[in-house]
Amino acid sequence: MTRRVIPLTLSLSLLFVLQAFAQVDPGVRGGGAAAGAPLSSVAANNPVTILNFFNDAKARFTEIDSVSGTVAGEGGFGLGPRYNSRSCVACHAQPAVGGSAPAVNPQVGDATADGATNPVPSFITSSGPVREARFPFFFDQFNNPDPNRPNGGVEDLYTITGRVDAPAACNSTVLPRPSFTLAVNTGNIIFRIPTPTFGTGLMENIDDSTLLTNFNNQQNNNVGVGGTFNHNGNDGTISRFGWKAQNKSLEIFAGEAYNVEMGVSNELFTQERPLPGEDMINGLASVCRVNPTPEDHTNFNTTSIATLSDTVQFAMFMRFLAAPTPSTTVPGGATSIANGRSLFTSVGCAVCHTASLTTSPSRFTPSLGSATASLFSDIEIHHMGTGLNDNVSQGGAGGDQFRTAPLWGLGQRIFFLHDGRTKDLLVAIEEHESSGSEAITVESNFDLLSSSQKQDVLNFLRSL
Amino acid sequence: MFRRTTLALLLLCVLPVARAQDSEAAVPSAPGVPLRKLPTDVILINGALPSASDHSTPLPEGGAVRKDVYNNDYFGLSYALPSGWFEKYKGPPPSDSGAYVLTLLRPGANYKGASRGTLLITAQDMFFTPLPAQTAKETIEQTKATLQAEYKVEHAPSQVTVANHAFMRFDYTSPVAGLHWYVLATEVRCHTVRFVFTSQDPELLETLIKDLDSMKLADADAPLCVADYAEAPNITYKIDPVLTEQKFNAIPVRIIIDKSGKVRHVHVISAFPAQAKAITDALMTWRFKPYLRDAQPVEVETGILFGAAKRAKPTSTLAKPSS
Repeated sequence: MTRRVIPLTLSLSLLFVLQAFAQVDPGVRGGGAAAGAPLSSVAANNPVTILNFFNDAKARFTEIDSVSGTVAGEGGFGLGPRYNSRSCVACHAQPAVGGSAPAVNPQVGDATADGATNPVPSFITSSGPVREARFPFFFDQFNNPDPNRPNGGVEDLYTITGRVDAPAACNSTVLPRPSFTLAVNTGNIIFRIPTPTFGTGLMENIDDSTLLTNFNNQQNNNVGVGGTFNHNGNDGTISRFGWKAQNKSLEIFAGEAYNVEMGVSNELFTQERPLPGEDMINGLASVCRVNPTPEDHTNFNTTSIATLSDTVQFAMFMRFLAAPTPSTTVPGGATSIANGRSLFTSVGCAVCHTASLTTSPSRFTPSLGSATASLFSDIEIHHMGTGLNDNVSQGGAGGDQFRTAPLWGLGQRIFFLHDGRTKDLLVAIEEHESSGSEAITVESNFDLLSSSQKQDVLNFLRSL
Repeated sequence: MFRRTTLALLLLCVLPVARAQDSEAAVPSAPGVPLRKLPTDVILINGALPSASDHSTPLPEGGAVRKDVYNNDYFGLSYALPSGWFEKYKGPPPSDSGAYVLTLLRPGANYKGASRGTLLITAQDMFFTPLPAQTAKETIEQTKATLQAEYKVEHAPSQVTVANHAFMRFDYTSPVAGLHWYVLATEVRCHTVRFVFTSQDPELLETLIKDLDSMKLADADAPLCVADYAEAPNITYKIDPVLTEQKFNAIPVRIIIDKSGKVRHVHVISAFPAQAKAITDALMTWRFKPYLRDAQPVEVETGILFGAAKRAKPTSTLAKPSS
């Protein structure tokens, strides 16, 4: 017995010693939300009344929508007939209104809210990330994914069937749900989590010429990074919002999300949305098209702020949100964070995660104009390899191409990567490496660092 | 990659589109037809990719590691890997500005050495570079000129001979990371081919560079590369490709023109499939005045940019080095 105990004790001691030297993700930075405030010039109400617009926009962003606006305590209107959640803030909540997926997933409750009768898909859990689901391919007649029929559209999780404010005739026969079980069993499903919206007004106001100059400046890198841009199909300019930079502007981003995630038709996306494929057959059943369209629209004969549609105000809210405030001391102390920042650049992360870009002059508010946006992104799309590939094409981005995720606010995010597959920042870094990825050299450089150096990098990232 | 994709496509047969719907409880599978899972490590939906008009002409992205040797027929490059090193992952496809990751090599499980490092081999097509540099020398000098504050120069750019070829060598370090980068660059077929050695151990890097001398690098049989040869005075017949798929992407293309002025080979470096087909089909009909060297027609290789406005020719902003 004694002989066994001693080696075991020694082994455990050695394990603890090794763990003490191994780098770990410090986790979500505490100390209160370092994001969610308006830009300083908006807070200063410059120009006059802009703060009223911001506050109104924030209230709309947090409003829960019902189908017809008749449910007490739910001020919004137009939910469904299919949806992923019931308000903007449900998904954009961490660490403050406008952020990313919260610690407790509201989609579990959304399934049965107000009498709805939706089962909760296996990939939606209380402690998991908010997720939208997409099927990369349509299914064939044998219910197998057909690689010659690319899909990639959002498959909403829920329907309004059974809700107290939904017509009884809009039942599961006329408004079926996609087979998420089948999609999971055949591997024909991918996920996306909400992108945080802090500082996005600054991103919107970076001129294409600035992005192109940065692109050119990075082309002589010694880490094998290429990169390109996604473009707006209408005017050919660089698009920049969404996981694949598929959306040109915040208003498009807001209008699409309102329609796709909450089922609210609006002036940019004017019809109620059928599921992918359904739009090629019969469209949505008329009994489920409950409200006149567009459900969200410019409101006439009312006060100045109330005139604006929700979509316009959602865009205003995001646009006027200040960038997250990084910490200079937490976690790990100022020296570690400063080292981490230098190491981050040294190993090549900053080739894609460009530390800052300068915005153009702005007619909205002074804080948006000629400002330094410390976004840690080049807004380019890069090949991320087989490991992160999701087989969904959007605009010019192929299955494995993703926009360089802006890292500001990373310190207080819970879930990482486009599908929220990990809460561990170290795993997120390692996931950058797989066949076909532009980041393989940078990741291998990171691997050459000592544990304490890697810890400095993690501390730096969690300080953002 | 292509083999895997083809296999996956074959396994998943072509059938009419249908929407699978259920109430989450049932898993509807047709009787007698087993469910087939999508492969998890294959990119089935691609963005812009390279392609070529034939399968026999070597391509820059066609290199591979076989039996511990990296071979690249396009560049005439053959490099024996250091003992115990391997290629863990393939690099990305070439970029739309003509940048290639040829290979990234690193120590594997059988490596016996005390210190670790990596060797990245890249190529930049100088016909399409966005850099204000046109030669390996200018490229390396620009690297030095734009070095960020995190790095310090260890050895200024200088010309060296490796494997009987002229190279530019430049060494720099990151003091905070303790990493050293020893970079060697040369020119092959109007590309800057770059060897980037990285390690915390300078001795390892020197050993690796010494071993690089045994590399084979020969482009003697390659066509002459000539910038801007596919321009009006040299073209005797052309049909412009009609690009129906507007993606606002740059489409760099290299062609090889034979001694008679016919296009022998088209290499679309980055394009969507319909773009690549339209361009390849059109270019194969083009005819040129034969290129003459010493009054003799020779095969030439040149570049053409489609799909985007032609960039202004980059001009070096570097001060001319004193001779």
